[in-house]
Amino acid sequence: MRFLTLIVKNCLRNRRRSFLTIFSLSISLCLLGVMAALYYALFFGAPPTAQARRAVTRHKVSIVFPMPIYYREQIRKVRGVEEVAIWQWYGGAYRDSRDQRNFFPRLAVEADRLFKIYLDYQIPDEQKQAFIRDPAGCILGRSLADRFNFKVGDKILIKGDIFPFDLDLTVRGIYSSEESNEDTLWFNFKYLENALRNSSRLAAGTFTILATDAADIPRISKEVDELFANAPAPTRTESEYSFGLSFLSFLGNIKVILMSICGAVTFTILLISANTMAMSVRERVREVGVLKTLGFQSSTIMGMILAESAIIALIGGVVGLSIAQVLCIGIRQGPAIVDQTKTLTIQPPVLLALLGLSMIIGISSAIVPAWNASRTNIIDALRFTD
Amino acid sequence: MDDVVIRTRNLSKEYVRDEFRVVALKNANIEIHRGEFIALMGPSGSGKSTLLHLAAAMDRPSGGDLEVMGSQLNSLSDSEIARWRNRHVGFVFQSFNLIPVLTALENVELPLKLTHLKKGERMQHAATALKLVGLDDRMGHFPRQLSGGQEQRVAIARAIVTDPDILLCDEPTGNLDARSASEVLTLLSRLNKEFGKTIVMVTHDPHAAHFATKVRYIDKGELLPEGQAPEDWKALPN
Ligand SMILES: Nc1ncnc2c1ncn2[C@@H]1O[C@H](COP(=O)(O)OP(=O)(O)OP(=O)(O)O)[C@@H](O)[C@H]1O
Ligand SMILES: [Mg+2]
Repeated sequence: MRFLTLIVKNCLRNRRRSFLTIFSLSISLCLLGVMAALYYALFFGAPPTAQARRAVTRHKVSIVFPMPIYYREQIRKVRGVEEVAIWQWYGGAYRDSRDQRNFFPRLAVEADRLFKIYLDYQIPDEQKQAFIRDPAGCILGRSLADRFNFKVGDKILIKGDIFPFDLDLTVRGIYSSEESNEDTLWFNFKYLENALRNSSRLAAGTFTILATDAADIPRISKEVDELFANAPAPTRTESEYSFGLSFLSFLGNIKVILMSICGAVTFTILLISANTMAMSVRERVREVGVLKTLGFQSSTIMGMILAESAIIALIGGVVGLSIAQVLCIGIRQGPAIVDQTKTLTIQPPVLLALLGLSMIIGISSAIVPAWNASRTNIIDALRFTD
Repeated sequence: MDDVVIRTRNLSKEYVRDEFRVVALKNANIEIHRGEFIALMGPSGSGKSTLLHLAAAMDRPSGGDLEVMGSQLNSLSDSEIARWRNRHVGFVFQSFNLIPVLTALENVELPLKLTHLKKGERMQHAATALKLVGLDDRMGHFPRQLSGGQEQRVAIARAIVTDPDILLCDEPTGNLDARSASEVLTLLSRLNKEFGKTIVMVTHDPHAAHFATKVRYIDKGELLPEGQAPEDWKALPN
């Protein structure tokens, strides 16, 4: 486009103002970018690949009600189920439980089956075997281990609260995962079996299912639930992904909060940008008169002003979204709030949409001043002094 | 062949601002021929700029006919007029009106951007025009790096770069010191004599009027007949 040099030079006309505009636009777009990434991860995100094949069965009424252990064999027989493992939430207290920092999930799991289901867990083979062999063994996620500086071989004492006994565990391994949270302590289900021998309290909190094919999960869920529909403990089965989300009871609010923050941010940058463009065009009314005298069409002048504003907004968008993408990497590496943040990123379509949004903001904020300037008649424009 | 560049018949302009009606130009009849260099003189507020703006179709008349280069401008749409002005009219302002973010060369190139010329040709034309006004060593300078006289010469280069049929200058020396003014006037005179440019120049300065081939006077919106000056003209301090 032959007017590009003039447009670019107009962008640079008042460097400090353009810089400040780009700066505020980029901060806002950075915020929008992270919000959108979170929103996408929470509400549209496909589960990470390994997780996509997992489903969770729990008591239909509430997660706090146990289910009989023998359910596992029946679930195992459903077509498409590759593996099933029992989970039991232990709870308990580590050190001073009033200190929130001492909280982390402690779950009993069938040690050998855990790794067949959590395909994304990375753990040295000898640690894995040591865990499976030791009825009093446990493994920890990398970030949990780092938090308390736990090492393989350390002893961990957990005081029972739900269960009438304490845990005296030995760290047998430390796992890491690209997808799942690394904040869980898994201990061997045999510990529960030994402690609750023949007690009716020996039960399953949930069953975790690995499906041969992720696409089968809806069908498997339905069949499992039908299996126990009339049993004393009816079940509810869903993908692990939505199971995880159902814990976030505040999620509905998050949706509203995210939406309103994004809306407010968008509106604010629209105002900032509109104000800047109004100022910047006002300073140039005379020049608009000169351009018209040289034969420039009103529409060309309008287009040039809109393009200028769009370029500034687009630069702000690119800068802001790059920062946002870096922040997402930071969040990915930090402790997981929910599993979804482990893979937090601004998806390409979201990125494009946000760049489009910044263009739209740029253009729409300049429409009124551009229109007014391009409609001013030459004589009035040339007489304009400010 | 008709060598009339501008012909007006009872050309009038009145401005209506709020309650006030100002008659800026009353029934002006003028013929400007190819190759003429006309100085338009008259007291402040007499309607000189108004006539120039109408001739450049920068404003629409309130009445009468205006024919420039054989075109009836009244019948053209705004965008046709813009295109027509780019091709046929060069305009020089009292206050130069260069675009501050563009270099001298880029300022001169600007009107050529509306033509079909390629970048290289545009640059070449712009450089030639700058050379003609004697500023080929200032091409990369920005307006703020030039003196007033140099700025005005760049503005003249910008006005002639499209090779227009007529050059309209509204007090081109009004903001200049005597030396720069006479440089600019010499340049205009050269453009008229050597290149046959038709020029209409509004001026307050009798000395400037000497460079023209003909002087016409306007008084209170009325274009006086050829050879006639306002009665009190000589008494005006200039
Ligand atoms: N845009 C406008 N709106 C209202 N009145 C105007 C406008 N332009 C000019 N006028 C009025 O029209 C009359 C003629 O103005 P014009 O600018 O043509 O005078 P001029 O001869 O060029 O004066 P000067 O020598 O001061 O430049 C003046 O009374 C002026 O106030
Ligand atoms: Mg004037």
